[in-house]
Amino acid sequence: MSKFLLLAFRNVFRNRRRTFMTLLMVGGGVTGLLMAGGFFAFMISGLREHTIQEGLGHLQIFTAEHFKRDEVRVLDTGIDNWRQVAATVQAGSHVRGVAPRIDFYGMVSNGSKSSVFMGAAVDPVAENSLGFTPRIAYGRDLDPRVGADVEALIGSGLAKSMNVKVGDGLTLLAVTSDGALNGVDVQIAGIVKTGYDEMDARYLRITLASAQRLLQSDRVTNLVVGLDSTANTDAAAAALAPRLEGLPQQMVLKKWIDLATYYLQVRNMFVGIFIFLGIIVFFMVLMASVNTLLMAMFERTREIGTMLAMGTPRLWIVALFMLEATLTGCLGAIAGVAGGNLLGAIVNASGLHMPPPPGLTVPIAFHVLHIPALMIASSLIVVFSLALASILPAIRASRLQIAEALAHV
Amino acid sequence: MNEIVRVERVTRSFPLNHDRTRNLVSALNDASLRVEAGEFLAIAGPSGSGKTTLLNLIGCIDQPTSGRVLIERVDTSELSQTCLTDLRRKKIGFVFQTFNLIPVFTAAENVEFPLLIAGVSSRERSERVAEALDSVGLSARAGHRPDLLSGGERQRVAVARAIVHRPALVLADEPTANLDTHNATQLIDLMHGLNRRFGLTFIFSTHDARLLEHTDRIVRLCDGTIQSDSQFQSEGLNQGGIREQVLASSIS
Repeated sequence: MSKFLLLAFRNVFRNRRRTFMTLLMVGGGVTGLLMAGGFFAFMISGLREHTIQEGLGHLQIFTAEHFKRDEVRVLDTGIDNWRQVAATVQAGSHVRGVAPRIDFYGMVSNGSKSSVFMGAAVDPVAENSLGFTPRIAYGRDLDPRVGADVEALIGSGLAKSMNVKVGDGLTLLAVTSDGALNGVDVQIAGIVKTGYDEMDARYLRITLASAQRLLQSDRVTNLVVGLDSTANTDAAAAALAPRLEGLPQQMVLKKWIDLATYYLQVRNMFVGIFIFLGIIVFFMVLMASVNTLLMAMFERTREIGTMLAMGTPRLWIVALFMLEATLTGCLGAIAGVAGGNLLGAIVNASGLHMPPPPGLTVPIAFHVLHIPALMIASSLIVVFSLALASILPAIRASRLQIAEALAHV
Repeated sequence: MNEIVRVERVTRSFPLNHDRTRNLVSALNDASLRVEAGEFLAIAGPSGSGKTTLLNLIGCIDQPTSGRVLIERVDTSELSQTCLTDLRRKKIGFVFQTFNLIPVFTAAENVEFPLLIAGVSSRERSERVAEALDSVGLSARAGHRPDLLSGGERQRVAVARAIVHRPALVLADEPTANLDTHNATQLIDLMHGLNRRFGLTFIFSTHDARLLEHTDRIVRLCDGTIQSDSQFQSEGLNQGGIREQVLASSIS
């Protein structure tokens, strides 16, 4: 068997120029897949952490009621006595912190112009402790001190629309939990960029205390839980679920992946593109290799005839050709993995950035992740492709008429 | 003596190339031949006389259009492709005009190949390869690849490859065609020596009349027909007598 393997290995390097070209093609395919896949993985990973760090958190806790029906009044499906729930959650394993949130909406006015806003009320201390810091373009973050003036952060689009700047005053109007209309004057502490133009045109952020005063409620919409690592999400969720069962309100625990609709859409899109690229590389290698292997078979017709004349089983000839192709695929994959990692390292060191994609306002770093699973998958694609490409030449070689093959010139 | 090859009224026809009328051209006509174990037989004749066709049929790498070929009294036309492959692997050794060595293998590895496909153990392979190379005087060149060997050396490697698995029959198709006279004579003498030393049956084809004086028996072919057989000539028989001899012995 070792001699058979040796024969296959030496045959691979028989025509060095052709083998080099084949390795270049196979290696290039693997390198391309690694570059594309590594970049996609970086984008997906970045989007995941960005989504989590922008405020989604690793876990979110809602009342079960929240998903059963729409709110009739503001916060009527919110969490009562949220401090007790937060304390229960805080004691869970892997939990780094808990931040209460209120989602609300209303009207904002500068005296001469009004606009709709989508409000987020937060506890700045809790948010900061979890690393959920708003991307402030101008001004500063909210003052967390109790009794301080009511402050707001507003999106850059909303600020532009309302023609206001840091330090200007605005009036917020919202319906309270009792159904009455309430208003509060706020001072603009900062202007933020969320990264999404549509969001920037409506975004407004105030402290939890201010929102509870505006909405006349002690409830919160949900609790956002930050963990020590995204990888511990499942373990932390499993540990927290039983703890939540003993609470007066029935609670629902959602993992970040269940709430990150945009992330999932982007991830599926990238996975789809990668599969498409993989199929292209697969067929590119397949078609080019069939031609190359048929040429090799043609050149070795007399040699194959000799082997068959000596009594070599035809299956051995099939195996020999397939083994040679598989070895070529393996060598190409090794070269491709080496090339892909080297090119990736160069690209990462270069600090290249790509222009912001549609909907985003910040450039994206061109960074390539080195992922072992991707290297294995890309290698398997080309090795399998070459093995498949060798079937036709291998079968044709094994079916040669011996007398004709021996007379081949 | 034991009969090793019997060719009975064999005809081999081929379709003419690109001929849509399916006209056939006959490469071998109604040929009959009997070879006993241990013979050293030359098939002589000009190019196109049917020598290679006859050797291909005896070597079971081609099938006759009519007639039959028996190897050690087994009718090869009744054997499956797998059995024919087994038969070639175990019973027959081949030497080709163009040497046909595997270029990526060394001389020793080329000689080892028939043992490899026969499933012989590694240790036994080493011993038998050494013996075979020694018997053709190429022990010192065992590690050389074919492109580093002379034509004569390559053909001696081919002979070693043909005998290493101890076949009953060695077929050599124009083994001296690519050699100069000196090397050609040496090769024929080498094969004759192996024939005498190990009792191996050799059948080889040649169109070089100078080599025929080194052989025991000469079968002359012309235009696909056996014109004469020195064995029967010495016994005072003609071509018709050859056929009768073969048929008579097949009946008995």
